[in-house]
Amino acid sequence: MRQQAIVPAATRLPWSVVDAYTATRRYLRRGMRQPDVIFGSVLIPVIFVVLFGYVFGGSIKVPGGNYRSYLMPGLFSQAILFGSNSVAVGIATDMSEGVIDRFKTLPIARSAIVIGRAISSLLLGIPAMVVMILCALAVGWRPTGGLGNAALAFGLYELFGFAAIWLGILVGLLAQSSQAADVIMGIPTFLLGFISNVFVDPANMPAWLRVFADWNPMSAMVTAGRQLFGNSIGPPPPGVWSLDHPVVTTIGLSIVIVAIVAPFCVRRYSRISR
Amino acid sequence: MSSAAISAERLARSFGETHALVDVSLEVPSSSVCALLGRNGAGKTTAVRILTTLLSVDSGRAQVAGFDVFSQADKVRARIGVTGQTATMDELLTGRENLDIIGRFCHLGAATSRRRADDLLREFDLVDARDRLVKKYSGGMRRRLDLAASLIAEPEVLFLDEPTTGLDPISRREMWAAIRTLVTRGTTVLLTTQYLDEADQLADTIVVIDQGLVVAQGTPEQLKASIGRPHVRVTLPDLDASALERVRSVLGDQAEIHGLSVSVPASNGLATLSEVVAQLELMGMPVYEVGLEHPSLDEVFSIVTGHSDGAGMTAPATEKNG
Repeated sequence: MRQQAIVPAATRLPWSVVDAYTATRRYLRRGMRQPDVIFGSVLIPVIFVVLFGYVFGGSIKVPGGNYRSYLMPGLFSQAILFGSNSVAVGIATDMSEGVIDRFKTLPIARSAIVIGRAISSLLLGIPAMVVMILCALAVGWRPTGGLGNAALAFGLYELFGFAAIWLGILVGLLAQSSQAADVIMGIPTFLLGFISNVFVDPANMPAWLRVFADWNPMSAMVTAGRQLFGNSIGPPPPGVWSLDHPVVTTIGLSIVIVAIVAPFCVRRYSRISR
Repeated sequence: MSSAAISAERLARSFGETHALVDVSLEVPSSSVCALLGRNGAGKTTAVRILTTLLSVDSGRAQVAGFDVFSQADKVRARIGVTGQTATMDELLTGRENLDIIGRFCHLGAATSRRRADDLLREFDLVDARDRLVKKYSGGMRRRLDLAASLIAEPEVLFLDEPTTGLDPISRREMWAAIRTLVTRGTTVLLTTQYLDEADQLADTIVVIDQGLVVAQGTPEQLKASIGRPHVRVTLPDLDASALERVRSVLGDQAEIHGLSVSVPASNGLATLSEVVAQLELMGMPVYEVGLEHPSLDEVFSIVTGHSDGAGMTAPATEKNG
């Protein structure tokens, strides 16, 4: 055995990049072997399309008139947000098992595992997004703002999703168990999703709730989507900067979240159980 | 720099009010096997977690493979293999994929990782299962895969935390064989165990720890010799005082009566045993049992720890004394 010495391979890329790539590949492979999880992440948004598009939709009046066109850009971001929920549960499960201990005794870059998680979650969310788009087209939603703008909108959703995934990883690292992570993620996801302009026009909410709905980052994301898809929605509420500049708000906020949360997650990961 | 592959000096670590390690020092020479023996909660796992860079200490110093565990953790990690108590292989990946990923994480590169993975699968008799998901593996297969994963980068020092706990007797034997093979290749092994026979079978040196303290150390023979030498014990079928006395007088001055039996030091080992048998035949004495008895590590353990109950320190029920 000794005659063939095992020496580290030479690379042109820094090891931190190679390690993050290896970790991403690992999580992607795992993810693709859990079709039930992927199916589940697709199912809920599709149920929402039926539930809100048809069950409640008939009774909801929105600016611009067509409720399903109004609804779909909201459900896209809703679907994105569910992804961050599953990453929190996933990383909390990892932490409670022996896998992480093994990784930590290997000479891997400290950032690799969390970065791999984040990137793979983003990629594994894409099938759900594709199903959502097909669903949206099937129920009559049409992007009328041009292909470039539509592409920009989906890029924006993914960026927003990436920020949400990092928040999910943070919760997963801080939670004591996967059940705890699920609950901690579930409540804000629920509140951000519903107290927003995803389903209804906040103009009809009581004033105190409306403040929250107007400044909710979800609302900015959804407004950006509606504008870029050309799904007209009437004038934005006066004096809400984030809704006047929804694209800039979403990009800026997402980048700030990733820039703050990602390094914190790496630090937290390397400190766990010390 | 000392020639010891592992050296730890006065390690101490508490978790809140729990003093997991109070004062543990140990030296493991290169290419030897050291067993850290102790019951559940003695501090074995804490010691291993410290030496494998997973845990910090309150005080103390430690070097593994010539590098400081705390200030040169990355250098240590590149030179050790660790198999913990809990399974660390990904159930949703195949055996081969698991090993391949660990190899890449050890920075062996794609080609070498694949080659090493295939070599180890062959060596650990997992070739037929290599493309099966780990969730379909048996307990013994998982342990072997875990061990294989620790070896992918040919570590200088291998840590095995309770490598056979929960395994059936056959898998346990296989694990022992695998560990012995490693040592012949020059790997230094530190293993923890609560099974005395396991320490006896595998270790060159044994460090007994109890409540975070080293209570005894030495070779298995030294530890046993500290308790006493082997004895020949003759057990009679009935409690017959005069028969016992006759046997005792025939066996010489050093013979002693304990209950139904008479024991005499086996100063010549098996030769003493056959002498005793010959004497008994000559006397025509009906006996229930004659045998050579070694002092067991069980006795060593209960003496050094002062726990005479022996609870928690037994060989697995399925396999008393190999």
